[in-house]
Amino acid sequence: MSNFQIRPHRPARPLLYLAPAIALLAVFFLAPIVVNAVIAFTDMGANLRVGEFTFKNFERIVQRDARLPMVLLTTLIYVTATLFIFNVGLGALLAMTSTAIPERLGNFFRGLWLLPRMSPAVLYGILWIWIADPSPSGLLNQVTGALGLPPINLRNDFPLFLVILANGVVGASFAMVILTSSVRSIPSHLTNAARVDGASEWGVLRHVVAPALSQPIRFITIYQALSLMTTYEYILLITGGGPVYDSTPYALYIYRRAFENGAYAYGAALALGLMVIGVAFTLLQWRITNMRSTFAAPKIEVL
Amino acid sequence: MALANTNTSMPLSAPVASDDWARLERRGALNRAGFLSAIIIFLTIVSVPVLLPYLWLLVKSLTSSDSEVSRLVLWRSTAIAAVAYLGAIALAFLADRLRKPALSWAALGIVVVILVAIFLAPYLTFDNYRFLWNRDIEGTGTTRMDLMPSIWAALGSSLAFAIAQTLIVTLVATPAAYALSRFAFAGRENFLRGLLLLHAFPALALTVAIFIQLHYMGLLNSLTGVVLVMSALELPFAIFVLKGFFDNVPWDIEMSAVTDGATRSQAFRMVVLPQVRGGLIAVATFTFLRGWEEYVFVQTLLIDKSQMTMSLYLFFVAQDNMGADYGMIAAVGVVYLLPVLILYTFTQKYITQMSFGGIKG
Repeated sequence: MSNFQIRPHRPARPLLYLAPAIALLAVFFLAPIVVNAVIAFTDMGANLRVGEFTFKNFERIVQRDARLPMVLLTTLIYVTATLFIFNVGLGALLAMTSTAIPERLGNFFRGLWLLPRMSPAVLYGILWIWIADPSPSGLLNQVTGALGLPPINLRNDFPLFLVILANGVVGASFAMVILTSSVRSIPSHLTNAARVDGASEWGVLRHVVAPALSQPIRFITIYQALSLMTTYEYILLITGGGPVYDSTPYALYIYRRAFENGAYAYGAALALGLMVIGVAFTLLQWRITNMRSTFAAPKIEVL
Repeated sequence: MALANTNTSMPLSAPVASDDWARLERRGALNRAGFLSAIIIFLTIVSVPVLLPYLWLLVKSLTSSDSEVSRLVLWRSTAIAAVAYLGAIALAFLADRLRKPALSWAALGIVVVILVAIFLAPYLTFDNYRFLWNRDIEGTGTTRMDLMPSIWAALGSSLAFAIAQTLIVTLVATPAAYALSRFAFAGRENFLRGLLLLHAFPALALTVAIFIQLHYMGLLNSLTGVVLVMSALELPFAIFVLKGFFDNVPWDIEMSAVTDGATRSQAFRMVVLPQVRGGLIAVATFTFLRGWEEYVFVQTLLIDKSQMTMSLYLFFVAQDNMGADYGMIAAVGVVYLLPVLILYTFTQKYITQMSFGGIKG
């Protein structure tokens, strides 16, 4: 007892733990945002020099960009079609059906649908280019050829359709994974009660499983809408946004304006618009989903 | 399930209406059989277009590029895959009733191997993989050798890229996540909000600004620059996932460590950190795979292409070969995809534990 002594109180120093993260984020995430906001008000071109500060870029967006209305329409079609048909619709269907069959089979199908998400983007893009290959040896044309149909050239004639399909097949797995765990968390007594009351298998699926998914589906819809709006990797790889600008949604339009035409300032101005949308969507998501547990204060802090 | 339920309630009213129960049972069994087959047919139809391209990728990488042969092999392999698939489904359903399920799975495997040996083996070749040991793929001596960059260099830089990114993200995110999970300090909630906003931020819209910033920092065309950028962009997600894991570690463990005389950082390193091992593995794997597959930023920020990662290499092979040697493109693709699949198989149980924003995924 005699040699028991209390260590001098040393307060925890959170800044020490956070400093590396703050530094990295400040230099390579926050700084680019500021840089982007500044460049948007300059006339920076391919020579990467700032000549003067102007509002011309924004004037151009509003008044003189003839391609922009078309690009916005493409974005709308691309996002809504991919989102509702694949990312939400097919994803929910896959989750509901793959949990209704024996466990091992369900795992097999879910694993299969995760394959496109795991594949590196370039490889996935090349697979779709092969599928859509216009020559008779393209994968799709081999199938249509076997059915006696004439060969089709998806990349030229229906680029938007191809892009929606390619993104949708990857996108469906997100909802599938999340909704699968939602289905699993439905208490089994609900299902059993329904069956005792004479519900058929379809009835269970329709009246017990489906209603339990509405909350996570709302989260998925917003989350995926935002990510569809802001990513373009697969489109860039599969069609490159072409022919001309036929399959170029807004996010890719920024990239192409900046890096194909060297109009960096104009690209930055366009990017500002996307950032505003991104922030707005995130705020909307906070309103809809319950983020309280994420922000909850630590339980005790006595040390 | 329906079957079991009717069975258990049968004794209660058996004498009165056993006829009715038998009919109900039959109807339930029929209903269930119809339901299951409808669902499996649906899943099969939607899944075939996903599976076929990968099957064909594998087959193409193993056959010569002659179009007649390759078409024949494609259809044969599809047919064999269909046989294997039907057999597997049948076995999955019979698994409960068979006495030795493992034996019948082995039998199915042997049948598939025999089918492959009979119908496919004569056409299979490793010729497409010759770029692995010989850069002179055209077989024309030394003149065209320079056209084919070494795949080992690309694999090496992809590996270095992904590992560096993984190390940076894990080392930086772990203490930050711990602090956010455990310490109360002024501005904590706002910090979290800001971080969440950054996570949802359209990072791809920043390509322009990042390109210009790296140009002025002198980091353009260097892997270091891309690694730092990618690490920063992955950081918010990693911090949130790890925070979720730290949140699940009970406070009492840490309390007792501190009561026993550990300092706060000792408690963190020696007591809490081992508890979140699964989370660390999940985040590390995820970051590694993101780095391994990254294309847009690598493509944009390494403009002179002196250092190729695998994504650029595959893109180069697919685009640049005028003769479009499909077999070789497929072989490069398989080499690129294989590490991902292996890594994923081993870490799957950790990855599925990640939760984000209250939703498990």
